[in-house]
Amino acid sequence: MKDASIIVCRCEEVTLEQIHEAIRQHACSARETKLRTRAGMGICGGRTCRPLLDRLTMPSEGDSLTDFPLKVQPPVRPVSFAEWGQSS
Amino acid sequence: MNSVYDLIIVGAGPAGLTAASSAAKAGLKVLLLDEFMKPGGRLLGQLHQEPGGAWWNGIREAELLVLDALEAGADMETGVSVTALERTNDNRWTIWTNKGCYRTPFVLLATGAAESANPLPGWTLPGVMSIGAVQVMTNVHRVRAGNRGVVIGMNVLAMAIVSELRLAGIELAAIVLPPRNALSGKASDPDAVLSSLLRFADLAPNAMLKYGARFFQCSMLHNLALHLYPKRGIRMLGVPLQLRRCAIEIVGRDAVEGVLVADITVQGELIAGSERFVEADFVCIAGGLYPLAELAAVAGCPFRYMSELGGHIPVHSENMQTPLSGLYVAGNITGVESAKVAIAQGRVAGLSIAASAAAKKAPSEAEIKDSMEQVKRTRQEALIQFHPDIATSRAKMYQSELV
Amino acid sequence: MSYGRIEHHPVLGPLPRAAALSFSFDGIEYTAREGDSVASALLAGGVRTLRLHEEHGSPRGIYCNIGHCMECRVTIDGISSVRACLTLVKDRMSILSGTVLPTPFRQETKTEGSPDL
Repeated sequence: MKDASIIVCRCEEVTLEQIHEAIRQHACSARETKLRTRAGMGICGGRTCRPLLDRLTMPSEGDSLTDFPLKVQPPVRPVSFAEWGQSS
Repeated sequence: MNSVYDLIIVGAGPAGLTAASSAAKAGLKVLLLDEFMKPGGRLLGQLHQEPGGAWWNGIREAELLVLDALEAGADMETGVSVTALERTNDNRWTIWTNKGCYRTPFVLLATGAAESANPLPGWTLPGVMSIGAVQVMTNVHRVRAGNRGVVIGMNVLAMAIVSELRLAGIELAAIVLPPRNALSGKASDPDAVLSSLLRFADLAPNAMLKYGARFFQCSMLHNLALHLYPKRGIRMLGVPLQLRRCAIEIVGRDAVEGVLVADITVQGELIAGSERFVEADFVCIAGGLYPLAELAAVAGCPFRYMSELGGHIPVHSENMQTPLSGLYVAGNITGVESAKVAIAQGRVAGLSIAASAAAKKAPSEAEIKDSMEQVKRTRQEALIQFHPDIATSRAKMYQSELV
Repeated sequence: MSYGRIEHHPVLGPLPRAAALSFSFDGIEYTAREGDSVASALLAGGVRTLRLHEEHGSPRGIYCNIGHCMECRVTIDGISSVRACLTLVKDRMSILSGTVLPTPFRQETKTEGSPDL
């Protein structure tokens, strides 16, 4: 199975191979993987691939497993400026 | 800015609805918000036969809970997406939504669970849906997802939905494992999958699987069972459950045309040359559920990772309170379990909040204690145990530092 | 291929009566049942591709059906990026699919490792 043909982030069409490559080359954290590959930066805000990215960058057993590897940022749903404006 | 409510509940599923009626009955002014067009949450799609033979019809159960909440005086808004949650200096929470902004002293997050995926080549094609999506299409919208489907992934949720699809007369060509890759973990390991299936096989609606499972349950036979497991699968509800086959790729030009599958060894290794094409016009990706806790995260709630409960869980006590003042959680956000457990937890949350808010008809300490006992009883009686160690994990969570 | 409705259900009973609504998708007229989401009405009408990926043009349809994945986003009555799975069909609604957008910057900066999708 070619990792190059497995899309992990559907919004930005980032493949498993690209994510592995970023992690391998730069030994990067979940956050940096996201910044380098754009995985999780699409319109859904990582709603679909966050658990997958977490799995790829999850610390090994025994490490402290408290916070999300990838920080959750508001807004947790896309919202238009018009709607945002109405809110406040 | 709307600030008339004592309690705002995010998520009108079984936990949120029950919390709303409990809190409203105690005298609180309650607002329920839900993103979907109908209240009921994941309950809406559920349809299964109870051990006594009665049907658990999620649509009806949801209607009853909605009626109860409305009669108790709770307000309800559907089609509202909550986008952010923030604690302000005045000891209140601000809730931002796509339809206005609210301020309230108490917030209950009852956002339930979301589905995880097991990605494979071709999974972005139209016609590939999460199995929960197909469930809602089938039972709620009464729309056929297609003429012939393939289910990729075997877990409790998948099996429950497969039986619902069969009930609705939807043809399924096969249930296969996801391909092994860096993301699939135990979901592509025949041995681990068999073990997890056996946990609830005694309750399986199908006699074949039921008796077959009892036979396999003996650990000595377990390995033998895997070796002898027929490549074409064992039929469950007329669908071949192919534990020794995995999907390699979903094929199609503009939409799903079929799935390329291959045989695998007992260890889950692909057997070269065994590839075959299964015709299908839709595919269900069944990756299981994880607690949907993004709002707890943006609110600043601490988390614990508990694999038995489905992932990252907001820290909370047995009365459903998080360490953040005024913030509560209930239902699948606290761990993936059945709707009945969510209902029982919703009641605990509603009552605890009413007590903490010193509501007019605030419940007694004993009443809250009793509601917490009810959660445990419900868990013990649950038809489907999502994970054998749920009770232990819960106890661990409730004993930790806290509030 | 026929999709359509589950007319008879052994437990849920016959399909309840519902008012018929008409709407258009990319200029073609469809009928929905009152209470349908845009996604369910289109699927019942045999439409599976709701948009093309903005950059690579790969076809996309419903995936999660609960408003998380954004794959089903369409333009409804002039408002873009509306989730078809969470939007109730209203009579005379005009819905447009999404299509490929120019991405000159991405083309220029594309690295060798990028997928050829």
